[in-house]
Amino acid sequence: MYAYDTYDHAIVNARVEEFRDQVERRMKGELTEEEFRPLRLMNGLYLQLHAYMLRVAIPYGTLSSNQMRRLAHIARRYDKGYAHFTTRQNVQYNWPKLSETPDILQELADVEMHAIQTSGNCIRNTTTDQFAGAAADEVLDPRPYAELIRQWSTFHPEFSFLPRKFKIAITGADEDRAAVKWHDIGLVVKQSDTGEIGFEVLAGGGMGRTPVIGKVIRDFLPVSDLLSYLEAMLRVYNEQGRRDNKYKARIKILVDAMGADEYARQVEAEWAKIKDQPLDVPEEEVARIKAFFTPPPLPVLDNDVPTVNAFADKNFLFKAWVSNNTGAHKVPGHVHVTISLKPHGGIPGDATDAQMDLVADLADKYSLSEVRVSHEQNLILPHVAKKDLPALWEALDAAGLGSANAGLLTDIIACPGLDYCSLANARSIPLAQKLTERFDDVKRLMDIGPLKIKISGCINSCGHHHAGHIGILGVDRKGEENYQLLLGGSGAEDASKAAILGPGFDEGGIIDAIEKVVAVYLGEREDGEEFLPAYRRLGADVFKEAVYGAR
Amino acid sequence: MAKKPAGPQMFIANRLDDGRAVFLTANGEWTKVAADAAVGQTDEEVEALAVLAHGAEDANLVVSVTAIAADTEGNNLAPAHMKFAMQAKGPSVRLDLGYQVSPNWEQ
Repeated sequence: MYAYDTYDHAIVNARVEEFRDQVERRMKGELTEEEFRPLRLMNGLYLQLHAYMLRVAIPYGTLSSNQMRRLAHIARRYDKGYAHFTTRQNVQYNWPKLSETPDILQELADVEMHAIQTSGNCIRNTTTDQFAGAAADEVLDPRPYAELIRQWSTFHPEFSFLPRKFKIAITGADEDRAAVKWHDIGLVVKQSDTGEIGFEVLAGGGMGRTPVIGKVIRDFLPVSDLLSYLEAMLRVYNEQGRRDNKYKARIKILVDAMGADEYARQVEAEWAKIKDQPLDVPEEEVARIKAFFTPPPLPVLDNDVPTVNAFADKNFLFKAWVSNNTGAHKVPGHVHVTISLKPHGGIPGDATDAQMDLVADLADKYSLSEVRVSHEQNLILPHVAKKDLPALWEALDAAGLGSANAGLLTDIIACPGLDYCSLANARSIPLAQKLTERFDDVKRLMDIGPLKIKISGCINSCGHHHAGHIGILGVDRKGEENYQLLLGGSGAEDASKAAILGPGFDEGGIIDAIEKVVAVYLGEREDGEEFLPAYRRLGADVFKEAVYGAR
Repeated sequence: MAKKPAGPQMFIANRLDDGRAVFLTANGEWTKVAADAAVGQTDEEVEALAVLAHGAEDANLVVSVTAIAADTEGNNLAPAHMKFAMQAKGPSVRLDLGYQVSPNWEQ
């Protein structure tokens, strides 16, 4: 993992003291709310329906066990004993007091964390594959480049007041687990014909009220040119992105308006002016950062572990968990483990302080003290020996963390919705809870197979409903919560926009509608055909007829 | 700024330090119990409440002062719109915790 240098420590600690002074002045009335609001937002502090909400950055979703323990401590000491992991690989606290937030930020700074750039019209936390550095199918570990982007973008003077917020995602594997095509900039690791490593560069993706899948603007960018090229991309956007209408200010609108080819041409022209300036870091600095992410010294072990097989033969839930929640590791005899934060009746992404402490302890014991956060709101232990899986699962299961549903229908993304969020029009969490209760049988879930449900409580799409195989969008219809049903979205390498199926439903109706959609799939699928390919083959009409009846 | 609601109105805000949703009472205090809020029936009454509410904002007691439509039809006075009703009740989830436990969200 990356470790702060003296410069990192200095700027984060200075920011804490600056914010402490700002909070004190606000509490004394020396700053008005109008003056204070942008200052608190620059430190990740929002005001929601019932309380303040502090959003803490988890750079590219990577945590040490000590950092996880600190997050648990903050939940216990300053909040209500839980925290919420988000679709941007960050974590949110729902109940901090304004006067205590400087202390929270100091607690975070002490373990090399902060809440900078988790709000506002700046470059936000770069997200990536939660299995980075572990997945067997990885071409290149994206974390050193995510870290480079973090350092380049933090307090970047030119890009601190962009037309709108800006999100970058990187994947280092062919299977896109970071939804890169849905980001303002998406970077996909590629290898050239000569073996050189670089990135395919996409621009103009985004969700919100205008969902757009990013377009490729450069087939291959050498890794050594990454920062200067990003600088050029941001410059063109910063200069030409709209500032007159916040709903038309994201880069997706600019790229759509001028065309991807013209945007690419302007970026290349800008890049030609700056690429030879010292924007890209020297090779030795890249090497220094890469050294923090060298593959861990795991021993090569047998992939077939008789004791694990015997345990699985006696315990179906464990067997299901191994099948669904673990994946192939670079090093034989190891797996990466997804700890589902989607238990029966639970809130997607929520973890208690005790659960976070336990995950930290288990990371120390079984995963080289590393934890990851996925954009699907789960936690990951990236480096686990297969022989340790029974003991790990038993410890997780005893704490309510053993759900065997990763990648299945109940592994639902849901935004906080109207239960917490001041932007929301409808609740999201209760729908997710009811779905986990309706589809509670693991055998049934495994029979249904991979199926991603994503729920947003408003058009801002924090719950990624546009990218759901089944998406749900909560709306306010004449003062009542109403839910639109969308089908056919994907956040993966085959990214697609989900389409609204028909008129919306109330809370009970949307659950029944999903049951009908699943029934159509089960009745119509071909051998081994997963939900999304089946939907694409069948088209919407057969689902529409099942849900709304013949017309 | 939100559109001015029609009909009877009450004032909602968040307390400065903990952000708790609170409602303006007739004597200018702020309560967590929506049913205890003052209701302005006429423009003059609403304006008088607005003066009290914004005075508290100027005194840094509360932020985000908003006039909202009041539902005066049922047994209990409550915000008419579901978003503000949610603020009055607390989240509908995690009912094992603090504020959400109490029907009147008084803890």
